[in-house]
Amino acid sequence: MIDAIYNWIDNRLALSKSGRHLLNKIFPDHWSFMIGEIALYSFIVLLISGVFLTLYFVPSEAMTIYHGAYKPLDGMRVSQAYASTINISFGVRGGLFMRQLHHWAANIFVGSIVVHMLRVFFTGAFRRPREANWMIGATLLILAIFNGFLGYSIPDDLVSGTGIRIAFSILESIPFVGTNLAFFLFGGNYPGTDIIPRFFILHVLILPLVILGLLAAHLGMLVKHKHTQFKGRGARNDNVVGSPLWPNYAAKAGGFFFLTTGVTAILAALVQINPIWQYGPYVPYKVSYAVQPDWYMGWLDGALRVMPSWEIHLPGHMIPNVFFPGILLPGVTFTLIYLWPFIESKFITHDYAEHHLLDKPRDNPMRTAIGAAVFAFYFVLFGASSTDVLANYLQVSLNVVLWAFRIACIVVPIVVFPVAYKICLELQHLPEAGKRKRHMIIVRDEEGAYHSVDSEEYPGYVTPELAPVQIEEVDLSPEISALNATATPKDTGVYKIPRD
Amino acid sequence: MIEAIKKRIKIHFKAIVKYNKVAGLLVFALAPVLLTQFLVALPAVASVGSHLSRHESQRQSNMSQATAAAAAGAKTPQLQEGRTLFDENCSSCHGVDAAGSKLAPGLHGLGAGVVNLWVSSGWMPLANPGAEPARKPALFDLQQTNAISDYVASLSRGGIPILYPNLKGASVTEGFSIFALNCAPCHTITGAGDALSNGLYAPPLHGLTSTQVAEAVRSGPNNMPVFSTGVISKSQLKDLVAYVTKYIEHPDNPGGVGLGGVGPVAEGFIGLFVGVGLCLLVAFWIGDRTEKEEDKGHKKSETGVQHA
Repeated sequence: MIDAIYNWIDNRLALSKSGRHLLNKIFPDHWSFMIGEIALYSFIVLLISGVFLTLYFVPSEAMTIYHGAYKPLDGMRVSQAYASTINISFGVRGGLFMRQLHHWAANIFVGSIVVHMLRVFFTGAFRRPREANWMIGATLLILAIFNGFLGYSIPDDLVSGTGIRIAFSILESIPFVGTNLAFFLFGGNYPGTDIIPRFFILHVLILPLVILGLLAAHLGMLVKHKHTQFKGRGARNDNVVGSPLWPNYAAKAGGFFFLTTGVTAILAALVQINPIWQYGPYVPYKVSYAVQPDWYMGWLDGALRVMPSWEIHLPGHMIPNVFFPGILLPGVTFTLIYLWPFIESKFITHDYAEHHLLDKPRDNPMRTAIGAAVFAFYFVLFGASSTDVLANYLQVSLNVVLWAFRIACIVVPIVVFPVAYKICLELQHLPEAGKRKRHMIIVRDEEGAYHSVDSEEYPGYVTPELAPVQIEEVDLSPEISALNATATPKDTGVYKIPRD
Repeated sequence: MIEAIKKRIKIHFKAIVKYNKVAGLLVFALAPVLLTQFLVALPAVASVGSHLSRHESQRQSNMSQATAAAAAGAKTPQLQEGRTLFDENCSSCHGVDAAGSKLAPGLHGLGAGVVNLWVSSGWMPLANPGAEPARKPALFDLQQTNAISDYVASLSRGGIPILYPNLKGASVTEGFSIFALNCAPCHTITGAGDALSNGLYAPPLHGLTSTQVAEAVRSGPNNMPVFSTGVISKSQLKDLVAYVTKYIEHPDNPGGVGLGGVGPVAEGFIGLFVGVGLCLLVAFWIGDRTEKEEDKGHKKSETGVQHA
């Protein structure tokens, strides 16, 4: 019976063939190829915990009087968005855990995307034919950052409200169209009453859908292009050596999903994140000192802090200071990220060939050095978002810390570039670099002399030249054509394919 | 021979210049900075020494003056004790009868409240003359602190008295709201305190007594503004004090480890280095594990595998 139903579906959708193709997909075994999966799994955690939160969150800026468990807020006039988030934290069973799970998962989501991107960049996995997938990945990063910001904003607490205020000003700073654009997105001047409902729809509906779609495209292209791999163990540019998706890799990935979820859940259960009851509701004329965005916006916040107060006065128009760190910097950043595969092949490697074998970072010193320097620049900016925390911790003047970061964001990349370049060159001449050292065994022979002998290789570092295992692809085309030839009109366009 | 040495030196020099341009430039760029730092530091060190000795001699002379003029204005035992403590611990900088000296301002007109705040918080006495007032364990107990405060207040008129806000019927909710409006802009909304510009800072507000909070609001110590009754009324002060003394440390604060109330900086740090870091370790563990086991498998079966 089940067979019959399956056959009926299979005849129409050809599940067996495409399914077998998919299940036979080969994943090369290297731990760094699993970083992207952390993002995938935390996205699943985000979706599940997000659905839970949506059930209790009220996306409205209408005012209400909060009455509930948290005493300093009892009887305060707050927005429904804020009141419902407090209620999730104190009133709903498991609500605070879900909130913290959602927030930690978001942090891990964006973090693993960045690490995954660094892996792809430094191993040259973005080269032809994967440029488009690289760009999809970059888009996913932007969307993840943007959606994280929206999610951070909708509880309508004091800290995130200040963040929205800054975002509004950054939008306004865009020359000529800024004010119109800001008014269009926020539904009028700041603070309107439309911000939270609009952000909510973007956060829970539109952006997750777009992310989901792009994620499907990202993975689809991964299957289509086949996986990249490192050299050795019989891996060549025209094959893929590793374990098939079913059953080996599926077991591995399934276990990894549960472990990623476990790590997130441990954080959610043990470490507090975004305690909005301490922050109080957002009131436009109230502000807390030293508010920061979540870390993935930190480099933008750092850029805002580090930027000297320069403005450009054009006749009849002034380009405000926040435009440069708030709009120009991310704009240039992501343009460069998008175009990097083409910039590299045109100006650095002059290599337009297809690459399925990965570089080690040392193999392409120029790329590695540029990547390291640029990353160092953004890392310094990221650090600059905590100038006040550092000044307070180190008990030095805030101005000293700020100037240190201003100098560092220029000096550090300049230092990092040649150092990374030189290290790459050095490593190229050390074939044993990165491998575990073998033990030396001292042996004494019968005449009393000592000799040293190398111990056996570690199991992981023996690389026998294996031939890739060919996976048989069932070629059904002769059978289909035979059926085509004998098909009668009675078959209503469905061709029965014999199966053994 | 000499020619050969000269030639050698030339070659070496060229090589040094060629390969160490960057290093050389750095040394030349940093040398003046380091040199000036050194030169600036020298007189500073010297002046600290002389400063200390000057202070010590002044202290000696002050002490003798103080003992000479002892018991002149002390009417009650409390004031007498306050005077003794003041002469022993404060007069070396603030002068005899709190009239001020070159080292520190006079204390006339401040009232008992200000003295009480500065002494009970450990700001005074300073660790050494010229140091920034920093929170440290108070040197005197409550009775001694009050004695000093009363003594200083008895020397002049004006100022604020020691405040004992009555917290009965205070609204924490109202206090939270007032805190967010007036205090959070410097002390941050969690009361963790933070560095302000130009070396100023707002201290953390944890572990304060209601007397200290009320006196700080009314007197504005250091760079803190004064909040008079026109800004924060008497009943509002009561609410505010109730919030700061009861709730700033968030006694009912669920959700796990609090990360110091400094917000997303600490959270991002944990998210990246613990969250993503642990996941990476797991990936490393899983990836490594499969590799090894496969190698074992290959060794057994690989003999039949052909090279393509």
